[in-house]
Amino acid sequence: MNGKWLSLLSASMFAGLSVLAVLSVPPKADAIPAFSRKYGTSCSTCHSDFPKLNDFGKAFKDAGFKFPKDDESFLKTPPVLLGAPAQAELWPHTIYPGSIPGTLPVGLRYNTYYQQIGANRNNFNQVLPAGTIGNFVPKSDFQPGFFSIFTAGNFGTGISWWVDDDISVAGANANGALGDGYLKFNDVSRFLKLPKDSLNLRAGQFELDLPFSQARTWNLSGWDIFSEANVGIQNGLGPAQNVSNGSKLEDAANGVEFSGGHIYQGYHYSVAVFDQNTTGVAPTAPNIGPQNGVSFNSDANFKDLYGRLVYRFNLEKDPASRNDVQAAGTMGPRDHTYLALGTIYFYGRTAQPVSGVQADGVTPTVLTAREPFYRVGGDVNFNYRNLNVFGVYVAAHDHNLLPVTAPGAAGITGFASAPAATFSGGFAEVDYLALPWAMTIMRWDQVKSSADRINFIQYNPSAPPGSSFFSPYSATRNRFTPGEQFLIHANIKASVEYQIMPQQIVYNPATGEIITGPFRTNALILGLEWVY
Amino acid sequence: MKRIALVAIAVMLALGTAAFAGTLHGKVSGVNGESVVYIEAVAGKTFPAPAQHITIDQKGLMFVPHITVAQQGATVEFLNSDSVAHNVFWPAISGNKKLGHNLGTWPQGQRKSFKFDDPGVVSLLCNVHPEMSAYVIVSPTPYFAVTDKAGEFKIDNVPDGAYTATAWHEGAKNKSNPVKVAGDTAADFTLSK
Repeated sequence: MNGKWLSLLSASMFAGLSVLAVLSVPPKADAIPAFSRKYGTSCSTCHSDFPKLNDFGKAFKDAGFKFPKDDESFLKTPPVLLGAPAQAELWPHTIYPGSIPGTLPVGLRYNTYYQQIGANRNNFNQVLPAGTIGNFVPKSDFQPGFFSIFTAGNFGTGISWWVDDDISVAGANANGALGDGYLKFNDVSRFLKLPKDSLNLRAGQFELDLPFSQARTWNLSGWDIFSEANVGIQNGLGPAQNVSNGSKLEDAANGVEFSGGHIYQGYHYSVAVFDQNTTGVAPTAPNIGPQNGVSFNSDANFKDLYGRLVYRFNLEKDPASRNDVQAAGTMGPRDHTYLALGTIYFYGRTAQPVSGVQADGVTPTVLTAREPFYRVGGDVNFNYRNLNVFGVYVAAHDHNLLPVTAPGAAGITGFASAPAATFSGGFAEVDYLALPWAMTIMRWDQVKSSADRINFIQYNPSAPPGSSFFSPYSATRNRFTPGEQFLIHANIKASVEYQIMPQQIVYNPATGEIITGPFRTNALILGLEWVY
Repeated sequence: MKRIALVAIAVMLALGTAAFAGTLHGKVSGVNGESVVYIEAVAGKTFPAPAQHITIDQKGLMFVPHITVAQQGATVEFLNSDSVAHNVFWPAISGNKKLGHNLGTWPQGQRKSFKFDDPGVVSLLCNVHPEMSAYVIVSPTPYFAVTDKAGEFKIDNVPDGAYTATAWHEGAKNKSNPVKVAGDTAADFTLSK
């Protein structure tokens, strides 16, 4: 087998595995049964369709994982004091008193899946030489999901924490990873005589303050725009790109975050400063930290920035109801009717070191392309009773520095600016909670990526690319995903999702002849999930 | 002389009334915890609704008390002592869904009242905290009692006569037994789930 076919096979296998990965690894989703135990209340106190938060759950989270008012009066198990409250008067001559929950605040979660993929799932094996064993995608498949542990709570003095970890993924022990792990100092503003809750500080590893959490999405599959990286190459098929930015909006960040306001009413903002991680993979050998060689995630000595600002208009007529955590409906408290408008901004910089030569054209050296990038977007979220309509739009822009070689030089001597590598897109989703235990979901995702187009994605019959691909037919990928979710109990959920996938195409990489016209590999996903 | 005779008649009447009012006591077994025993409606007899209101609190995500007995026609006030929103509703009274009712929402410190004119078992719920639960047993007569945790009960001032007494316990089947009250009368009930 020659190198061309080997690379073809590798590409095909990679692509196949990628599709499987996309289909079979749903996003994390955590609800916290530890709080149910602590307060003796149902999951539905905070979740409308776990892990989707209702207004009270948002206020609970904002308050540092406790009831917004009179938290202690709801505790079913008294906390363990780490010092009498009166010790506070002796500070700084004593350790400031705090508390820990009276019961170990641990929750566990498991999920399992079944998927069925459309008839075209193995079309790409047609490009392989006769007799070659291709990548086989089964029509139907049962798959174990995540087994996760998570813990969260507060230390009684406005300091809260969250840690979640996937102990096992897809049936493989210890194949998971730390999700979020942070300490949050709530209402730091009180020390600065600022308005209440106007300043919080969070430190550790955390998901960025996205308009809608990908880590805790209630959908079986994540929103595509949050998992989009920007990797463009130079292949002579269009505007060349030298961009290798593996970072995604959904990636966990290591750093600090300042935030304020509330997510259930009025303004909310956050500003995060965190390690750059543009590899999209685990730390590699060159990234070894100074402390006993513990690896870290930064590619370069640079911190990324992320900011979010949102304002939520609660639209209740009655001022008292409008300003309360939940609206006072005639049949009982309910989520507000609201309109929230928000924006996000992410600024970072990638660093791509390459071997080159100095200006003399001979002396070897390492040259680094430092490419700033940004993501900017807006979001809207409207809720009326049991109907929730929301969406996000994001535009991405990566500065593109192409390596150049001076005449007569033995290697790369520098970089030159080229048209940026961009992508844009977003999603729109409608959730309708038809019954307290049944939610219908209609969702549309779109990603339009110049890097995707260059990476052989756009098929041009008059100038077919030189190798095969396994990717959408067009640079614009649209996905429509209807779904339904049922709460068997407040902590057990059955979900179904039908993914109408983007169109793909297969052609002969040698001749450019189309082997199969545009087709889709739609997928039906069933999931069972429970927390306890 | 006439005055003495009137006093004697009054004393005799009082003694006579006392002699005709008995006590029904006994034990509810087969279940654990508090139960309710009450005398079913007496044909041809009505009882005035009590003037005093009963209060059921919502505190710490719980109804307090968990079991309340109210005479038919009594008014129950539902207080919200929590800093979170609650509501009170009941889907039915003794299975009759037409008697279901939702009282809506009210904030901390305020109360809403409801006059229970229909006898039966009212299962109280809160639609935002599904774990919250309580019961109002609306007795058609003023003759009722909540047992102690051992199941013992005592209903005083029951006029002598033949009645139907019913025992209720959360999650158990009601048991109705004919009782003939004559002075100090015993009646036991065995309930099953």
